[in-house]
Amino acid sequence: MSLSLLRRFARSMSTAAPSYPFSKLAVIPPAPATPPPAPLLKGKGLMAHLSDTLPSPDKLKLLKTYFSKRHPLRILPGSVLSVTMGHAPTQFTGVLLSVRRRGIDTSILLRNVVNRLGVEMQVFVASPHVKDIKILQRAGGGTGQGKVGKRMRRAKLFYLRDSPEKMSAISAGLRG
Amino acid sequence: MIGLKGTLNVIDNSGALLIECVNVLKQKVNNGWGGVGDEIVCVVKRARPVATSTGSTVVKVRRGDVRRAVIVRTKKSVRRPDGRIVSFDDNAAVLLNNKREMLGTRIAGVVSADLRMKGWGKIVSLAPKVI
Repeated sequence: MSLSLLRRFARSMSTAAPSYPFSKLAVIPPAPATPPPAPLLKGKGLMAHLSDTLPSPDKLKLLKTYFSKRHPLRILPGSVLSVTMGHAPTQFTGVLLSVRRRGIDTSILLRNVVNRLGVEMQVFVASPHVKDIKILQRAGGGTGQGKVGKRMRRAKLFYLRDSPEKMSAISAGLRG
Repeated sequence: MIGLKGTLNVIDNSGALLIECVNVLKQKVNNGWGGVGDEIVCVVKRARPVATSTGSTVVKVRRGDVRRAVIVRTKKSVRRPDGRIVSFDDNAAVLLNNKREMLGTRIAGVVSADLRMKGWGKIVSLAPKVI
């Protein structure tokens, strides 16, 4: 038999994911090892199941630790983060003003002052375009020295838009 | 979202400081609001005092001039194709002539990267910082 015929036969026998006939870009995830439980097949607990399976494992870990409500390692507002993204501008550093927690649609608002002009960027953390999130200075707790900033008494720090002196206080803590 | 009577800072060296929007050009689907990368007709409200020397080749605008401009920064947030949302702390523009060429020769400050997508590559290349 010819090599191409053999290859085609092998490919048809493989357990690769079925292709979607209408789009080359569609990603069909492989079927899970255990079949879904009966209530899930009926639709019960579907949203909870989706919030656990839709993001990729590293994004899920990000969501469940850094951007959760009660994890000890969660990032508090007032921290300084640096986000690396796939598209220009590739790097954005800023003070975390707010975390909008909506499961996979969780987003963070970063504020920075560039050339004496304030710039705000809202980044969706579960996006595949977001390559890396680095914590430059955590906020909260303790003396507020070194790599730990002052603890903010608000969940959303929108008041920082009107006070450039408080913004420079946070950045001074970062540099010092 | 810059419309009639919206004021913008001017960030090039054409001499103008503050302009007021009079009309947003050529848009069918924006309801009269201009965003980043849109061309507007504007009136110069405040300008730098024009020097009487004939040294520079840059056209200096005066107060009360009616010119065209392109919006380069808005307080209203803009969505990027990858889902990011970017907003600046003020509204800014760069003056143009009727042929969509810049009047000034230098740009001071940050401009939005959405300009590149709308076809203003020359302004993006002159800007010191693009976000």
